Amino acid sequence: MTPVHATFGEVAAERRIASVPLSHVSVELGHLYMEDFEAGPARLREQFRRVAPWLATIRSVWRERVPGGRARVSTCFLVDDYFSRFSTPAELVPMILEAAAEHDLTIDYLARESACAQFEDGRSGAVELARLVEDRLVDDPPPETDGSRPPVKETGWLCNGSRSPLTTPLQAMGKARPWEPPTQNAKRGHSIFVDVELWDERGARRTWSCPFLAAVWQLLRLGLLRAEGRVPLPPVPLEGDWPGDWDRLPAVVRINPQAAPFSAYTTLSVLSPRFLPVELAVRTILGQVAVDDEVLRQVAARSESERVRLEEELVDRVSYVFT
Amino acid sequence: MLVFAISDKGGTGRSVTGTNIAYRHALQGNDVCYLDFDFGSPTAGAIFSVGSVARGTRESGLHEYLRGDCPQPRRVDVWAESDREGLRTRPPGAGRLVLLPGSEGGGELSALSEEVVGRCVQLFGRLEEEFDLCMVDVSAGRSFTAELVLAATVRMPAVPFRWLVFHRWTRQHIIAADGLVTGTDGLFDVGTRFGHDPEVLRDRIRFVRTAVLEPDAAELVGLRDEQRAWLSACDSELRELAGRHGVGRTTMLGKVPLDPVLQWREQLITDEDVLASKIANVETAAAFDDLAKKIVDDNAWEGL
Amino acid sequence: MLVMGEVHTGLLQNSGEISEPACRQVLGLMTGETVRVSRRPIVHALSPDRLTGVDCVLPAASGSRIRGVGTVVSRCAVTGGRVAQGSSYVRLARSETDRRLPWSHYLARPGVIEVLGKARAADIAEGFVGEGAPRLHGCLDLTAVTGRFLDLVQTSPLLNRRAPFRMPRTILRWVAETGEPSIAFTLHTEQERTLRLTHPGPFTPAVVDLCEDLAVHDWLLTSLLVVVERARVGATPAAEVAARLSPAVDHLLHLWMPAARVEERLTPFWESLERRPGFSRQWRSLVDRVRDQLAVHTLALLSANAETGGR
Repeated sequence: MTPVHATFGEVAAERRIASVPLSHVSVELGHLYMEDFEAGPARLREQFRRVAPWLATIRSVWRERVPGGRARVSTCFLVDDYFSRFSTPAELVPMILEAAAEHDLTIDYLARESACAQFEDGRSGAVELARLVEDRLVDDPPPETDGSRPPVKETGWLCNGSRSPLTTPLQAMGKARPWEPPTQNAKRGHSIFVDVELWDERGARRTWSCPFLAAVWQLLRLGLLRAEGRVPLPPVPLEGDWPGDWDRLPAVVRINPQAAPFSAYTTLSVLSPRFLPVELAVRTILGQVAVDDEVLRQVAARSESERVRLEEELVDRVSYVFT
Repeated sequence: MLVFAISDKGGTGRSVTGTNIAYRHALQGNDVCYLDFDFGSPTAGAIFSVGSVARGTRESGLHEYLRGDCPQPRRVDVWAESDREGLRTRPPGAGRLVLLPGSEGGGELSALSEEVVGRCVQLFGRLEEEFDLCMVDVSAGRSFTAELVLAATVRMPAVPFRWLVFHRWTRQHIIAADGLVTGTDGLFDVGTRFGHDPEVLRDRIRFVRTAVLEPDAAELVGLRDEQRAWLSACDSELRELAGRHGVGRTTMLGKVPLDPVLQWREQLITDEDVLASKIANVETAAAFDDLAKKIVDDNAWEGL
Repeated sequence: MLVMGEVHTGLLQNSGEISEPACRQVLGLMTGETVRVSRRPIVHALSPDRLTGVDCVLPAASGSRIRGVGTVVSRCAVTGGRVAQGSSYVRLARSETDRRLPWSHYLARPGVIEVLGKARAADIAEGFVGEGAPRLHGCLDLTAVTGRFLDLVQTSPLLNRRAPFRMPRTILRWVAETGEPSIAFTLHTEQERTLRLTHPGPFTPAVVDLCEDLAVHDWLLTSLLVVVERARVGATPAAEVAARLSPAVDHLLHLWMPAARVEERLTPFWESLERRPGFSRQWRSLVDRVRDQLAVHTLALLSANAETGGR
């Protein structure tokens, strides 16, 4: 008898990573906080007025970049329903869409900020995106980090270097150390030391910080997150009217049926300069998120196949216009 | 099993008794390690007759480890590294006997940080994985070291631990031993503050009397009747005092008789010291042997 | 250039073996990542990979100070619900620059340490697994990293910490390179082993699986030897010997499954170790000894019973 070649497989032993459709760029047209809402529709119109030319610019830039000029650009809008709840989707969303239309802007996707922390519905089950990203943080090691000690952590904080060392001695009659400044790992001559609060806890309730949720939001738009191998929070079309309660709204709603995919190779956010410190914090976080190897490979293979050259480091795929 | 050895005051014979219990427990066939947490004066190396670490080790001692200055503390295999010939070969059937020395020139801890407690938890967890008994010499009195082990053990609820409180058989020592356990900022007080269940903690603390002179001891032959009567009266007075302070027979795990060898030199008492050279008393070795069995005997630790 | 890693193996700190769902919980080290479980021929559960960032000196037999920056991959495994492992490895690659780049550069290459400046793979390999290599100050400490990962399993609140016997962890330190196939397995102290592997074709995680599989079996063999030694056959009464051997029967004997999780192209490495020194040969002889002792004891009990019964 000839030798028989046996194959044996076990589904639970394999790792399956779903892939996600990708646009070339995801443009965030705005981010609505309670204070903006309170300022009235004028503030919103002003925001869209400033965004409109940039969207046109980014479209033409990508048309030139992509062979055949078929650039896939999707737009999105984020509403804060996490730090404070105000108004209702039924009241707010039509107002947003109307203000956008006045400047010939189409909002393709509308997302809820609380979904970046955690989200649960019949379709997606429970997804804790913030925890998922927190578990993927790999601290930027200061020089001479040899693995012999666990990474120095201030629980709930993340920095881009080393903090000032303790000055009090740990041993009776031991020497106190003089103060030393914190340092940035990637400093050029001098440090710009950044220490970001990721969350705080009052009792058992954890509140994620705004920069941390914004980092999750960027990763979601870059299509780099997976939960149990699946794509978390895929956009869904709205069934019926805008609900009277945020909790009845899907995490990401597809408003425009013809829209290019929600996730994209790159992102652009058009923001007021007052968000600059937040985005510095977001970049500090994104620079320390280890995206799944397999997901990185998927995205790289896809972009290569359509001859789009992607920045290798994910922070470089995120861009801003502060206006 | 983690066993913490503490005493009300210095000079109770805590270290010498603790090391001898560890030694006897190893002879009984168990794998044993001894941790010198007496940070102000780490001298367990001398008792085990390991000259190179007699006053602690220059490199990778326990202080250094807890401070985070070395990844793992040094281990000394007593059967291989002791200078005493009688200890240098592992007796047939004996378990491992490993000393983790303190750091030479170390000092008492002066603060308790999250990192230090974390490292202590890691150390205890790993040692408990491979040794039947980990005897920890916690030093005398209230200290950051005692706080440290109370804070560490509350984080490892599944790891069994016990406390031995060593005291001499005198009025002051009995009162002080009781104070160390039940007084303000004593073991119960601090342990409860850290999250230990006071009832459970109570069941895990036993007293050991050291350097006890029994009224019928051989040493007392030749004393005048008046002296003997006085001693006997003292002893019963102390018993009554100990009972009142909760340091009485029911909470006592054992006692170690006064032995000249231990008064003159802190050392392990081997069978050779008892049988061949006869410098030590049979009763002393027997007391250590008994304690070495009792520390793991659940009957001796049943709730009171 | 070179791949190096470490595997720490120990007895899971629980009174009995744990179930497959418990394995999943114990090894669920990352939100949103599944624990991979295979059930044939033995239940084997593997945690998701986690990364640790390092920027430090690499081992070098020559003592030269070679700087490397990047991430270490670590994971944990439980075999047969009974044997716990922590495992870490790094792939070394030459850096295109001689200065450190932004951290996101290294995160785009998980599990790679980039070597800054000149270095020879052989020097690093020898420094890592070679006998008597100098221990450089501030050198990459895979032992500490891996130990912490095994701690994560062993200190899981799902375990009752009442292990049936005490056993030190073993440490297997390995290097793998591409080349003519060869394997060298060396026992050092009671707990330390080294493995040098040269494999055809590029490195894949299957090489790590092979190292972990070897480490499990070396640990089983080491532990069974210790249990038999502690039983002091011939020096203690038969009943006591039997009592001391029984944990081995209850917890170890059924776990021997050489090359169970080894990719087919790598099985020749296991086979060559089976020829010399013959892992399975020694295992079988020990198992026979344990079973013989228990059989003798049972027979003695039976005949004692028969005698008292006959009277």
